[in-house]
Amino acid sequence: MTASMPGLPSSKMLKSYRIWDSYFTPAFSHPGQDGSILLFREIERSLPAIQCGQFEKLCYFPHIGLGTTTDPDFEQMVKSRPQTIRTPLERWPDLLIGMVQLNANDVAASLDALDRWIQNGPMKGVYFPGGGPAALTCNHPNFDPLVERIQQLGGVIMQHTWFKTGGKKSSGESTPSELAELAARHPEQPFVAAHAGGEWEQGIRAVRDLPNVFVETSGFDAKAGFIEMAVRELGAKRIIFGSHLPSRSLGTELGKIIGANISDDDRRLILGANFRRLLPVE
Amino acid sequence: MRFPSSTPADEMLSRRETLKLALAAPAVSALVSESPMATDSESASFRIIDTNISLFQWPFQRLPLDTIPELVRRLRSLGVTQAWAGSFEGLLHRDTTAVNNRLAEACIDCSDLIPIGSINPMLPGWQEDLERCLQHHQMPGVRLHPNYHGYVLTDNPFIELLKRCSDSGCFVQIAVSMEDNRTQSTLVQAADVDLSPLGDVLSHMPAVRVQLLNCRLRPAQLGPVRHLSNVTLDTARVDGTDAIPQLVKAVGQERVLFGSHSPFLIPEAAMIRVHESQQLDTASLSAIYRDNALQFAAGESIS
Repeated sequence: MTASMPGLPSSKMLKSYRIWDSYFTPAFSHPGQDGSILLFREIERSLPAIQCGQFEKLCYFPHIGLGTTTDPDFEQMVKSRPQTIRTPLERWPDLLIGMVQLNANDVAASLDALDRWIQNGPMKGVYFPGGGPAALTCNHPNFDPLVERIQQLGGVIMQHTWFKTGGKKSSGESTPSELAELAARHPEQPFVAAHAGGEWEQGIRAVRDLPNVFVETSGFDAKAGFIEMAVRELGAKRIIFGSHLPSRSLGTELGKIIGANISDDDRRLILGANFRRLLPVE
Repeated sequence: MRFPSSTPADEMLSRRETLKLALAAPAVSALVSESPMATDSESASFRIIDTNISLFQWPFQRLPLDTIPELVRRLRSLGVTQAWAGSFEGLLHRDTTAVNNRLAEACIDCSDLIPIGSINPMLPGWQEDLERCLQHHQMPGVRLHPNYHGYVLTDNPFIELLKRCSDSGCFVQIAVSMEDNRTQSTLVQAADVDLSPLGDVLSHMPAVRVQLLNCRLRPAQLGPVRHLSNVTLDTARVDGTDAIPQLVKAVGQERVLFGSHSPFLIPEAAMIRVHESQQLDTASLSAIYRDNALQFAAGESIS
């Protein structure tokens, strides 16, 4: 069905891009009371689009009991039964990659989680949220020991970032400028600015001079000109595709890359090669 | 879709003749008479009517497709055979007569662009603008921007405008938003249009045809219009992997019209979004991509 559908390249072309999605958000704020029921449902809801886009892999961000949800019962359950965290990776071993959600307000527990989930596997990096109980502005000193340990382990850091008209909607949100401050303190560690700051005309400028900061492409409307500006100012090697499925759509997120006036070589970098280079999966 | 630089004179004549013949039913025949040209995309399997594009320049940024030849070329390559074109100038310019003249002139040179004039009912003499759009330019509908023009849907000028459109048989496009309010200029912030009064307003005008542009699939926007059978919606900002099937379920397939909000948004995004969930069959996809627009433009009842 997808080979000749409006707006979409052929399946053969899509496969050739080897798409790795760095920002897959099924049941993003809560996976369900048993740790997986909502998560599984949302992954299954996304599968038609995943198939349509010929994605190879998708990276999601599991809650691991560090107080990243507002549900104390869930937090307690997942601490007592950490094996539930692995169930999506066991069900879709060839499709999913995990990066754990950390809580920079709780440095000790987050350091412990890094050893448990990255050093010992199977997770490949971390996610710092922009909202909820675990959000903390990322230029805070609490981040420094965490970044140092993540760097030792070779993990990737995905930091939620937005520049919102009218200012932050919660005190723990981070802007690309604040991520740039953190990245300048840790020049050897790669950081990914999720959503390129949302208002990307400012977001791209804010991280432009930090070669260890990449921008992720999802989470806002498919406004034209984004990828062209990012390639011009950062180079295609610093742009990483994300889908934000299923709350956003394949159309919105893949359309940004497919519809951009860039070379096909740059498209391949953005859609998968850059993320593969960051993650030691293969 | 034809390019301005290569539009054959006979095709332009054909359009003018069509318009002359359309006096009894203003401009509807221009809408239902799509270009006979095939699209230049070998893979395009649908003929698409895009009900939501804009010409000229977005006030706050140059966009990659903000010249008419480039926009037309891209839309054509994607299977678009007709596009209903408003004007970005209609957002902030106060000389709306000149805005609509430029729009109409641009569309004469490209017969598959259907001009949709901008009306600001807060301006003195807006009635003359409407008259010129309908009678002089033979436009089939008009586009409103309440949040950029400073009125709400209970204001009398808006209600009078709807009545006039209803009486004249033209349709009304209301742009609920143009841009995510999180990314707007700090100096020109426009909250999404409050649709909650629309049901009461339209209850007195059952014949008026309204299309909402750039709605989100959110209760605050969908709730007030869910049961208004003379209101259609476009797909441009309906986001989420299965959001279009959800919209179809909520309001009925007949009320969902394809719109891309190009060139502000990338046209491929809206196109993929319609089919990506694989929940809609070919007949439903054809209805959304094209047939519903023709039905809406022709003023056929939606039931």
